[in-house]
Amino acid sequence: MSGRKRDELEGVISLCRSVQAGSVEPFAVDIDYMLEVIRRYYPETTSLKDFCTDAAAIRGLSEVLQGQNAWIQHQSTTLYKDPFLLHQQIQRMDISAMADSFLRSWHPMVQMEQLSAKTLAGSLGYWTDLIPIAERWKESNLQLVDAGTATLEEARALGYLPEEGFADILESFWKNLEGRVGEGGRISYWDWIGADTYEETVKRSYLTVFIVSYGYANIESDRFGEKIEIIHNAEPRPDPGQAKISIPTLVDYEEWKNWRKG
Amino acid sequence: MAKRVRSEAGYARKIKDAVHLLFFQHHRLPGVRGWELRQELGPDWQNVLEVLDKQLQPLDLQVTRVLDDPNIMDPDQTQLADARYYITMRGGIDQKAAKTIGWRVDDIAGLAVAIAYIISKQGKAPRTEVERLLQEKLPGWRVKMSIDRYIQQGYLGEDEKGVLYMDWRSRAEVDQKQLVNLIVGFGKKADAEALKPEADEED
Repeated sequence: MSGRKRDELEGVISLCRSVQAGSVEPFAVDIDYMLEVIRRYYPETTSLKDFCTDAAAIRGLSEVLQGQNAWIQHQSTTLYKDPFLLHQQIQRMDISAMADSFLRSWHPMVQMEQLSAKTLAGSLGYWTDLIPIAERWKESNLQLVDAGTATLEEARALGYLPEEGFADILESFWKNLEGRVGEGGRISYWDWIGADTYEETVKRSYLTVFIVSYGYANIESDRFGEKIEIIHNAEPRPDPGQAKISIPTLVDYEEWKNWRKG
Repeated sequence: MAKRVRSEAGYARKIKDAVHLLFFQHHRLPGVRGWELRQELGPDWQNVLEVLDKQLQPLDLQVTRVLDDPNIMDPDQTQLADARYYITMRGGIDQKAAKTIGWRVDDIAGLAVAIAYIISKQGKAPRTEVERLLQEKLPGWRVKMSIDRYIQQGYLGEDEKGVLYMDWRSRAEVDQKQLVNLIVGFGKKADAEALKPEADEED
């Protein structure tokens, strides 16, 4: 396919993307023309690149049709008002009138942050158990000792070095995930990190951070952060379709106790 | 008789529990899911909410339900369990009261314009277009700051392509139908009244 023809197809794709982004109305697009362009160049499609461009154009076109369907549905709802009329009204109204209209349709939420007797009692318990800062930040009693040498095995035996390398730990953790959920399977975050002891749970959550960061697995959270899931990746790769975001997860002792209780 | 008193006391306790759940923030975002209410209040949780809603009426408050999919008209039990419930003001507030809760009049007007425009565009609109519209009446630096604030407060959301949509807070707090009707109907009453004396004079 010649460069000019591909440009024309790419123009179709770009128009479809504009519709998807909401900057062009779905019915402002000439579907017949777009179909004609796709049909005209299909017989000349030979290379993989051409096939991909053609497929992208067809997909874009189907999304425009989907947009047209949604547009009709929207127009049939009671919420539909002509965008042009609405725009005219917005321009006509002064700031105060606009604010008044909003205030008449606005029902602000009522929500308070509480400090109950129960939380106060809990906090008091925490305070009692808290080791004084002088003890926590106590200067270490350092002693000068003669430096010696130790082999790698000796350091491992003393617990200064892990038995296996960090990469090996991650690999086996990843295999462990596959064993539990199968290739490409998913599991709730707490069911995955939760262990019999709190220490082990924290260790598993720590390792989970790495297997997710290195692309051995993915993490998905719903918009309210209530449902978090770990998804096994058959091949270690970060999800290319996902935006890079951080999902802070609290591995709280109380939460662990609740999880243990089921 | 004793049984009835017990059941009334039980219901009053459930309403108290519902107040604790709905008024106080338990999660990162306000609101309580239907299944959480069912878990705490029992199978008649919807009746408890109905009674609570009636009791809140004289205080100008109400129980508001927001479904995950705003297009659902007649939700089933599963959709109700997934819905979020909030306590909101029943009536509107005036500009003076709005100022006391930290809103400037142009912030409110800007949010109204952004929401109305997004509604007219089927629920999503490029941020650049919303900014352009707001810049017709507000200074540019203020527009960007205001949109960021609306996003931060949960009224608007922005995806990675820079497209704005209505977020959870707008869906919970704003009566979209009323807002659009008020904007479209603006000036009609005044126009009708302005025309009336002319018509009378003609008579």
